[in-house]
Amino acid sequence: MDCQLDIFFLEAVVNGLLLAGLLALLALGLNLIFGVIDVVWICYAELVMVGMYGINYAYKGGMPFLVAALFGIVLVAIAGALLHFLVIRPVLETPPINQLLVTGGVLFLLQAAATMAFGIEFKNLGIRLGSLNIIDMSFSWSRILAFLFALAGMLALWLFLSRTFIGTAIRAISQDRQIMPLMGVDSRKLYLVTSAIGGGLAGLAAALMVLQYDIYPQIGLQFGPLIFMICVLGGLGNMIGGFVAAFIISQFIAVGSSCFHTEWGYAVAFLFFMVAIFIRPQGLFGSRT
Amino acid sequence: MLRALSAGSAGALLALLLAAPLPAAADVKIGVIYDQTGPFAAGGSKAAAIGNKIAIDMINEKGGVGGHKIIAVEADAQSKTDVAINEAERLLNDAKVDLLMGVYSSAHCVPMAAKVDAAKKFMWANVCVASAVFKDKNLQYVFRPQVHSDQFGEASCSFIAENAKAKLKKDVKGIKVAIIHEDGPYGVGVAMGNEAKCKELGMQIVHKEGYAATSTDLSALVTKLRRAQPDVILHTGYNPDITLFLRQAKEAGLKWSALIGHGAGYGQIDKLIETFKDDVNLVYNVDPVAAQLLDAKSLKPGLGDLTAEMVKRYKAATGASQVPPHASMGFNQAWIFLSDVLPRAIKKHGGFDPEALRKAALETDIPEGGTVQGYGVKFFPPGHKMAGQNERSSPVVMQYIKGETKIAWPNALRTIDPVLPLPPGHAYAR
Repeated sequence: MDCQLDIFFLEAVVNGLLLAGLLALLALGLNLIFGVIDVVWICYAELVMVGMYGINYAYKGGMPFLVAALFGIVLVAIAGALLHFLVIRPVLETPPINQLLVTGGVLFLLQAAATMAFGIEFKNLGIRLGSLNIIDMSFSWSRILAFLFALAGMLALWLFLSRTFIGTAIRAISQDRQIMPLMGVDSRKLYLVTSAIGGGLAGLAAALMVLQYDIYPQIGLQFGPLIFMICVLGGLGNMIGGFVAAFIISQFIAVGSSCFHTEWGYAVAFLFFMVAIFIRPQGLFGSRT
Repeated sequence: MLRALSAGSAGALLALLLAAPLPAAADVKIGVIYDQTGPFAAGGSKAAAIGNKIAIDMINEKGGVGGHKIIAVEADAQSKTDVAINEAERLLNDAKVDLLMGVYSSAHCVPMAAKVDAAKKFMWANVCVASAVFKDKNLQYVFRPQVHSDQFGEASCSFIAENAKAKLKKDVKGIKVAIIHEDGPYGVGVAMGNEAKCKELGMQIVHKEGYAATSTDLSALVTKLRRAQPDVILHTGYNPDITLFLRQAKEAGLKWSALIGHGAGYGQIDKLIETFKDDVNLVYNVDPVAAQLLDAKSLKPGLGDLTAEMVKRYKAATGASQVPPHASMGFNQAWIFLSDVLPRAIKKHGGFDPEALRKAALETDIPEGGTVQGYGVKFFPPGHKMAGQNERSSPVVMQYIKGETKIAWPNALRTIDPVLPLPPGHAYAR
């Protein structure tokens, strides 16, 4: 154990917070989909990958980064809506295992398609934003921006769900899927909008991730397990729970990696997850029903 | 009447026999396993597969080996150990290949070698480097002409020690070294070699740490390195962990006098330049030498032309401007097998079953300068703690200077005076 409470330790803690923003954003889209439609998109991280490739090619094709990022968000929003329309809707009334399997199938399909279409080479935008230096600490601007945009994205979603008519309808249908259609609500339309928003959040995450990570067909495998762990820890479908869980897990990773070997950071985070789920199987913020 | 009939039949039979073509020599079926997809593919596996294919094509263009055509049955390990093992079993048991060849990742190589050997089948490992493949296993049917990870670890420490006083203006004992590595057999093997040799030479190991190659964040590791302030960082990784480390190191302001990579992702300099541009100028890489960097005069006559042909075909196949060391590894190892071991197995031991191939491999005796990568080939015999490993293999320390690869160590082969420490103005210079 090498846990020195010095300036470098503080740097690790803040880096953990910055990582949490990105993970919370990734968890948010998945939780939204599950909370409203009651379906787990196993292929969620692969939609992020699609967005990263879209932004990469748009940027290298001459678009300014912000326009390319917007293109990526719209692209994945459309992909999310298509995923619901073509894959989820036909199995919506079937047992959950069917939904899991079809989205799992989409995961492999997207990975294989990306390998065939974009090749095996690692790609990146080559954008370097520099660092913010405070005392002896150094924080990457790409991470700070990712954190801020992730917070802004979450705030925007909260405003949308709480202040707009369609947002209210989405919240309502997430509370009772049987009653709302009886009151004249078109649940199919709401599910489609929710899927597009979930996809859009994956697109936003993609726009933030291209500033920090290389793009390759299997990048979803790097983040997928972590996102699912955060969602389950927070209570699957609970957006606030996912947000809090992202910060808890990130701190375990950051502080654990700082005090022990990097591998232990992840091991401690997963150990905490297991203990928490033993105690609260429904997740930290999930309801028992 | 009967006699006339039988005489006629015999004549017809004789005519038929004379007219029939001679039975064709059986093909040699080789199961070639590389990662064509997944993260390892771009980390050098694809390049090695192309090199391997060039060797087989060139041999077949000459009519094969002893009249036997070489048939490559290719399999994609998908950068996954379970897939690699399943493919090995499929090739041996269903496709009925005569031997296995290739294998990029040590994580695949270690279990695969043990399984193949237990089944008394023949395996020729081309790229994977972990010493753990052979160490204390006494394998009988697995052979590797390639360098092993202990040698990687030793090369970088020896290079630093030999240049400490002249370049770093420090006594060897004053050199602070950090060892970081991915946590598979490859990274662990090289790191163990680094630690043992650097300690033996009296250097200070100020930090040693492994991490998962799929880590999403290495900032805590970078922070610890900033705290430890090493002069030299010895790094063994694949991709995307190398790019993640370099990116986060720069963002966090980590500085060093020298960064020495050990193959895999560091062997793909054109990809690193694409990502980091001048920031990866002057990075070192330990690897078996890329054949085209060697002076052809130091090799057996004809090997220079062979290298030139390999380079020409690789560039034509990929459109790449740089030919990575992995292409040489795939080509050289395959060429050694096809031009030395297999002909001897067929001529002297009567075929290419595992026993004949094993006997032929054990008789291999290629002196230094006898392969396109410079090293000779002679395998440690059964009973040795590294039985099956080439005892004459050796890596070099290369330095990337403005996109070109130069040899910095050993002194006998070096093509540049190494730039050490990083000059002021470099992104990572102290």
